Amino acid sequence: MDLKRRDFLKVVGLGAAGSMLPGCGGETAKLIPYVLPDEEIVPGVANWYASVCRECEAGCGIIVRVMEGRARKIEGNPDHPLNRGKLCALGQASLQGLYNPDRIRGPLQRDGERGEGRFKPIPWEEAMSRWVSALQKHPGGAVLISRPVPGTLAGLFSTFMKEISGTVFFYEPSAERPLRAANRKSFGIDFLPDYDLANTTYLLSFGAPFLSHWLSPVHFGAAYGRMRQGRPEVRGRFVQVEPRLSLTAASADRWVPIRPGTEGLLAVAIGRLILEEGRTNLPRGDRSRFEKFYASFSIDRIANETGVAEEEIVRLAREFYTAASPLAIGGGIASEQTNGTDTLVAINALNLLVGNINRPGGIRFFRPSDFPASSAEVVGEQALLDLKGPSKKASRSVLMLYQANPLYTLPPSTQFRQVFEEADLVVSFSPFLDESTAMADLILPDHFFLESWGDHVTEGIAPAAGLAQPVVIPRYDTRPVGDLFLGAANRFGGGVKERLSWTDYRTMVREQWRDFFDRRQPGQPFEAAWVEALQKGGWWKPEGKPVSISQRGAPSAAEPARFEGSEKEFPFYFYPFPSMGLHYGQGANRPWLQELPDPMTTVVWGSWVEINPKTAQEYGLAERDLVRVISPYGEIEAPVVYFPGNPPDLISVPIGQGHRAYGRYAEGRGVNPLALLAPLIDAPSGALATGATRVRIERTGRKGRPVLVDQTGQGTRRHTEGGEGEA
Amino acid sequence: MRKWVGVLLALLVIGVAIIWGALYAQSTADFMGHDRQPIAFSHQRHAGELQIDCLFCHRGARISPVASVPSVYLCMTCHRSLKEQTPETEKLLAYWNDKEPIPWVRLQRLPDFVQFTHEMHLDAGFQCADCHGEVERMSQTPRAATFEMGWCIDCHERNGASLDCFTCHY
Repeated sequence: MDLKRRDFLKVVGLGAAGSMLPGCGGETAKLIPYVLPDEEIVPGVANWYASVCRECEAGCGIIVRVMEGRARKIEGNPDHPLNRGKLCALGQASLQGLYNPDRIRGPLQRDGERGEGRFKPIPWEEAMSRWVSALQKHPGGAVLISRPVPGTLAGLFSTFMKEISGTVFFYEPSAERPLRAANRKSFGIDFLPDYDLANTTYLLSFGAPFLSHWLSPVHFGAAYGRMRQGRPEVRGRFVQVEPRLSLTAASADRWVPIRPGTEGLLAVAIGRLILEEGRTNLPRGDRSRFEKFYASFSIDRIANETGVAEEEIVRLAREFYTAASPLAIGGGIASEQTNGTDTLVAINALNLLVGNINRPGGIRFFRPSDFPASSAEVVGEQALLDLKGPSKKASRSVLMLYQANPLYTLPPSTQFRQVFEEADLVVSFSPFLDESTAMADLILPDHFFLESWGDHVTEGIAPAAGLAQPVVIPRYDTRPVGDLFLGAANRFGGGVKERLSWTDYRTMVREQWRDFFDRRQPGQPFEAAWVEALQKGGWWKPEGKPVSISQRGAPSAAEPARFEGSEKEFPFYFYPFPSMGLHYGQGANRPWLQELPDPMTTVVWGSWVEINPKTAQEYGLAERDLVRVISPYGEIEAPVVYFPGNPPDLISVPIGQGHRAYGRYAEGRGVNPLALLAPLIDAPSGALATGATRVRIERTGRKGRPVLVDQTGQGTRRHTEGGEGEA
Repeated sequence: MRKWVGVLLALLVIGVAIIWGALYAQSTADFMGHDRQPIAFSHQRHAGELQIDCLFCHRGARISPVASVPSVYLCMTCHRSLKEQTPETEKLLAYWNDKEPIPWVRLQRLPDFVQFTHEMHLDAGFQCADCHGEVERMSQTPRAATFEMGWCIDCHERNGASLDCFTCHY
């Protein structure tokens, strides 16, 4: 048969087309049965376990959907009084912590120089002996920096460190230290109160970012919903006083822009007007102290200093004192200044003046549950910086870290790295290789919280203690940090062994709950109560009587905030704000949170610099241009996003990116604005004043490529540009 | 000559179309799978000759969306007490002694976007054979139906079941 070239090609073409038919090879799916069936598992049917979320410090109740031994979905626990079935993006994304490919899979020891970040495996036994013998070699010098763990673990840490004459610091950048210090001054109360937003009719917030990350955002988000739409007869009004249009300010009925650091002055002016117009409920005895303080201020001068018009101040005061149940709160940028505590005391004074303490819609004080050994007094940044002070407590000793990342959250200008460099041995118990853990000599990784036992005593609402149980079998060769400390106590012997004689942490948690139930409900069988607590997710009771307060502290100072950097050389205020998904950087290794569009700018997967469009144009900066932000302490480069919600003299940058470690999703992405900050502290609370550094900006002439969700047609990219912050 | 080529090409086209069509009809069927099971398990033997009820092994069907394959332990409840072994039952014993699960090849599989539940269909009075065919007469288990949307919808229409998208897609 004479086959022409053309025909040949036709046949070949058909053959080629045929080869593209759906293949029947490839991987076949497998059905893997159990070898031994588990009595509690029906394949295809989910079990829900109650536990506690540990992604931020609030400690919401969660229920976890587990199928065939795998955690699949996390939701809020409908019974828990704090979040009532709601859960934020961080909690939803915590599964990506559990399944994170960059988790530390077993104990490691440093391989190479300290801080190089190279590690090699070490057997558990050897790791434990190295750690314990180092502790024995340095009596009295050991330091543990831990995230706040209110509950049994706090008791364990405190007892252990006390017995070996070491020190424990519970540290967390979002701990609202100024608020605690201010409440002590105003009300003489050590614990956080409940701000009853749900029943407020007029909410005056000075920068408190309660819709994104303040104290307990899920709790406040739900309460805010009830305040606005939960009562048929009244819709609560809400005014936000804040230099920039944050997410919370954007939700308000009215946003009152103000000069950064002068929020306290505005509160003073409002307080003065309330007194002048005789609308206060203060007892006579207290009134004179307030009058004496307010006397030295004049409204017009304050209007001048704050940039809020006099008639606006009068309007705010009238709205506030004529409301049926007014509430004033403060936080965020208002408290993150060198006068943060004083500002909050002045804001608290407004609540004292209108007498909303322990009234519905006001500030209510509920004593936290009398859970044994649950106090985890949180320290400010100052306490950590004192470690490298003249006392040099930590030098040549053992530095331990538990899920705290000071090398990321403390600005380099504080020179905190010294503490690491001078320590004899650095031990980290974190499940992830973050910046601080990368500086460790020894890593004894804790389980992820979904694999561990634990509990969490909630502050600020009616007494509640969440009980956390493991919902999955541990994925890696990790050990619960509680077991590590009990094991160390056992090796130590002596007093610490006597005080901490439990065989394992689960037993310790159980025993603490047994004591607790015995005191609460004597005579009840413990086993039934324990099972009920596990099922429910903890223990709580309906609101009881609030604790009455005896102290009514008047404000004592309203100094303007101090700023680092001269106005001439550094013309801009600078405010690094915790981002919605990444918070203070903890969320950066969770792709779901990286993908969460910033609510105000819709940026994902990177850093950006928010500049008022007019200012940007004066500098010849188009949107997306790379801009250099320079402070007296460092510089960062990130793309510009026009942000009309910033005043012309304020630059804001989200915190959370710019990691040098912390896994594949976080590393080398964006910049860390904390690198620019001056080591300024709000003295009364010892908290870092993150809003107190001034900056200038420079064009780089280069284009950045930020990814904005609302720009259709822009695909997400693997890398957003933006260099490292040089400190 | 040219004509022959034309015929040849036509035949080729038709042949390809037939093969293509056959494969398309199979769609998600893994029809190479059924003779590649790690153990030559016979439904004919168990469900047919021994008259074992489907639900004795596929216990999930009554209480779960998935019918589930029996655990190795369940196989052993009977096989432990069998005196005579065949090469195939030896394989089963080997899995059991090694405490290894049997890596069965999956024959029935629905895409992720379909939610099917056995439990509800059994509650509605269906027999396993209505969808899976009379496996008690099959030595090797093929895929009995296409399990495609049209096939499901047909049955739902015949029986007056819900035709709402959200019944299966949620």
